[in-house]
Amino acid sequence: MNRRFFLKSGSIALASVGMSLSAPAFLERVVLGNTLAGGKRKTLIAIFQRGAVDGLNMVVPFGESNYYSLRSSIAIPKPENGNADAALNLDGFFGLHPSMSAFKPLWDSKRLAIVHAAGSPDNTRSHFDAQDYMESATPGVKSTSDGWLNRYLQSKDDPEKSLFRAVSVTKTMPRVLQGRAQAVAMSSISDFAIRGGKSSANLQNGFEAIYARENDSLAGMGRETFEAVNYLKKANPAQYQPENGAVYPGNPFGTSLLQIAQLIKAGVGLEVAFTDIGGWDTHVNQGNSRGQLGNLLQQFSAGIAALYQDLGQRMDDVVILTMSEFGRTVRENGNRGTDHGHANAMFVMGNSVRGGKVYGQWPGLKNDQLYEGRDLALTTDFRDVFGEIATRHLGSKNEKAIFPGYSSKFSHGFLG
Amino acid sequence: MNFKNLKKSVAFILLLALTSAQPLVSAQKRAKTQDLTEEQRILHALNRLGFGVRPGDVERVKSMGLENYINEQLNPEKISDTVAENKVRELNVLNLTTAELYEKYPNPGQLLRQLQARGSLPSDLAEARENRVKGGANVAPAEMPKNNSNDSMPSTEMSPDAARNNQNPPPPPGNPLENEKYRKLIQDYYRENGLQQPQRIMAELQASRILRAVYSERQLQEVMVDFWTNHFNVFAGKGADRWLLPSYDRDTIRPNAIGKFSTLLQATAQSPAMLFYLDNFQSVSPNANQNRRGGPLQRLRAQQQPQPLPQQQRRGINENYARELMELHTLGVDGGYTQKDVQEVARCFTGWTIFQPRGGAAAVNAMMGEGARRNAGTFFFNARVHDDGEKVVLGHKISAGGGIKDGLAVLDILAHHPSTAKFIATKLVRHFVSDTPPPALVDRAAATFTKTDGDIRETLKTIFMSKEFNSTAAYRAKIKRPFELVVSAIRTLGADTNGGPQTHQWIARMGEPLYGFQTPNGYSDAAESWVNTGALLERMNFGLALANNRIPGTRVNLSKLNADQAKVMDEYLKTLLAGEISASTRETLLKQLDPADPVTKVVGLILGTPEFQRQ
Repeated sequence: MNRRFFLKSGSIALASVGMSLSAPAFLERVVLGNTLAGGKRKTLIAIFQRGAVDGLNMVVPFGESNYYSLRSSIAIPKPENGNADAALNLDGFFGLHPSMSAFKPLWDSKRLAIVHAAGSPDNTRSHFDAQDYMESATPGVKSTSDGWLNRYLQSKDDPEKSLFRAVSVTKTMPRVLQGRAQAVAMSSISDFAIRGGKSSANLQNGFEAIYARENDSLAGMGRETFEAVNYLKKANPAQYQPENGAVYPGNPFGTSLLQIAQLIKAGVGLEVAFTDIGGWDTHVNQGNSRGQLGNLLQQFSAGIAALYQDLGQRMDDVVILTMSEFGRTVRENGNRGTDHGHANAMFVMGNSVRGGKVYGQWPGLKNDQLYEGRDLALTTDFRDVFGEIATRHLGSKNEKAIFPGYSSKFSHGFLG
Repeated sequence: MNFKNLKKSVAFILLLALTSAQPLVSAQKRAKTQDLTEEQRILHALNRLGFGVRPGDVERVKSMGLENYINEQLNPEKISDTVAENKVRELNVLNLTTAELYEKYPNPGQLLRQLQARGSLPSDLAEARENRVKGGANVAPAEMPKNNSNDSMPSTEMSPDAARNNQNPPPPPGNPLENEKYRKLIQDYYRENGLQQPQRIMAELQASRILRAVYSERQLQEVMVDFWTNHFNVFAGKGADRWLLPSYDRDTIRPNAIGKFSTLLQATAQSPAMLFYLDNFQSVSPNANQNRRGGPLQRLRAQQQPQPLPQQQRRGINENYARELMELHTLGVDGGYTQKDVQEVARCFTGWTIFQPRGGAAAVNAMMGEGARRNAGTFFFNARVHDDGEKVVLGHKISAGGGIKDGLAVLDILAHHPSTAKFIATKLVRHFVSDTPPPALVDRAAATFTKTDGDIRETLKTIFMSKEFNSTAAYRAKIKRPFELVVSAIRTLGADTNGGPQTHQWIARMGEPLYGFQTPNGYSDAAESWVNTGALLERMNFGLALANNRIPGTRVNLSKLNADQAKVMDEYLKTLLAGEISASTRETLLKQLDPADPVTKVVGLILGTPEFQRQ
């Protein structure tokens, strides 16, 4: 392993995180990195809604009469002035769940695109298998050893050799980032440290000294590790102040997004960020405009909107993508909930996104239009969405390596 | 442990940690002769055939002779193992059949539905169930989604949120009071009815793996259990597998870990854990639809699922097991099979299924006094859904009408295929010798495998007695996997552990939770593919936590060394670090010592060194 830790815009990044000029060896590389690195770094923030969100109540096809026939107790009412429980009108046919008002300004300013009826062509309705396929991006093939985001990293050299090129803000490395390319999983920035109470600094010095003296692959990685640890320390997570008046929800999801914003602003060379949010498996008492799903959608949209606001102009170079393993049944079940379905809706956000539009062919919700007689049919393979982001946003030239055995059918053009 | 032994054990790990350091005097000596010293050979064998060196182990092996030790380890049934057996005695899960686990450790969501279906659900529970906010992963084991997917039985799939980040997922949204109330009522109901929460199952199984690895005298047996558990990987988070894994460990892997490969292969093929994990339990011949009605499975389904199905069931052949059987269990990906072979093998295994794969209504039946269902969650061959036509597998004709013999014939063909010998030999050499297996040794191990009808013991012997195994190139060339690191640290320090959840969490934090690998290939044995900065940091943090007794349930006793602090410290640093560590590092180490507990910190640092990560 022979990685170095360069920063794309050292001095700016250092200033913005209040780093003192007290680490000479490290800074030399930073300065060097500053002169060598060129261009702005594009970043993807991928967010997984684990448990299969009900896409039909998240992005409501209120123009479909069968939507209302099949969802007698959980449907979201058609848009109506003065009705806070009604769907938020997007284009006269689709509306957002009323709990997602935080997304509406992004839609109105054409920075939020939706791809509806998207998902995996495999018909599994197992959470486990479907998440697996969505993360490996090889539906139907279980033995793929790496995730598609890792294959993206493998397929493209990183001139900056950033240690934080790929970060998952989760306890363990998610499937989507597992693989040969270096990626870091951390539940929080402050946990990415030697944790020895009051002696932490001393202990870290001891480890650094030990790892400095040896020349094998582990020692090399140890030195990288401490460069990373030291850099993050100087980002001073405890003192972080969101910008532009952004207020993150005080829940774990909001906290995860805040960490991602911090990493981006610290200029650590973040190219792929990942986090997830659970709780979408609404078989019982899903609620309609209010209730279980509404609460969760509120947290979800408020968190992402805060991230968007916090990143401000940086969103020129950032795309946020959301996904969920499959959709839910069009018909509500006997417990005022929904069961495992098929196609779903995905959000794509960023200043470079051609938003304000619902992409993808709408298959309809009439009984004879439903997949296997019960679910929203699929018209967009999720790999087409991933592929468009990998090529148009991240600049991959090797889509075949990222999606083995798959040729992208078409590009929606949500990235222009 | 008395002071002298403690001192010895600390000195010992320092020695172990440092014998592999790169510019070493001894290493230079070795380079000339290319031979390991007797002491090094013993250390090497203790590390590779086992999970690290306890104080006194080297002397013991020296006095009995290394070859005798290896032969002893190759015959674990002859080794008395009372200490380890006593350690796992309290783990009830290990002694229960799968049916009993379903009965005593039921999935609460499933149980409540079944009680409700019989009109026996207590009203407070019914109300709490209605009001609670579902979906958060921390209620995962307590309530699982009703699954309308692949068959009509109630699903026990792990909560979808937990499938990936099953450590400490975020709390569920909504009103936490309702969920808290629900959990409390479930707990009370379980207690009143003598039931246990299903989380106990994996907790106890993991504890047993750690306890046996730490305390068993049958070290090689435990290493091979780890090896095969990984080779024939099953993910605990998939559906019913958590109920099926104790039997997998006890009945499938352990008895066959050092026996004939063909026996082990058949045991895994017929294990409910594997049948469930790779979906074969629902693989049926599409041609069998007509005569299936009235079969035992159908009767069972009718009985358990009174309401009509909301969707058409997915029916037909499932190729998952057939593919992984050849790609990962036997031939290897380039082992010479085609997609056509996959399809033919899948046909052969139609009808290899599980009786009551999710336990039926075992708990409710037992509670209602209707008697236990002894066979719940066991293998059975359902001839009615078997494809009984002729098949051709890897050029071998399998005649029509073979029934269960079709699958057995496939296993026989695969177990004796030259690609399998090569593939298994490669994996064993990679595990025991080097991440880059020497081809000549692989060839010799494969030859032994073939000559002995797939005898694992003989194949291992070829490896252990080889010059490649006993070479300086192999010495400390392997990086310990997280499980190996945790166990070896505990053993080397002579620490005591109950194998509890905190140890599982450390293993998970380092990236390899036991039974937590989702895909069928198992954790890689080549360090390059999994060592990363975050994991390395957690290794260092683990060493610190262990040395400082911050892992509940695990105790290391180094405190007595304080009495002699300065002298002891100096002795260790001078004797063991001189020449291996720069003066400035030595100063750094000395500086950060706290007068109250210097040795624990030094030990913590040593556990985090690159050298201690190696074996």
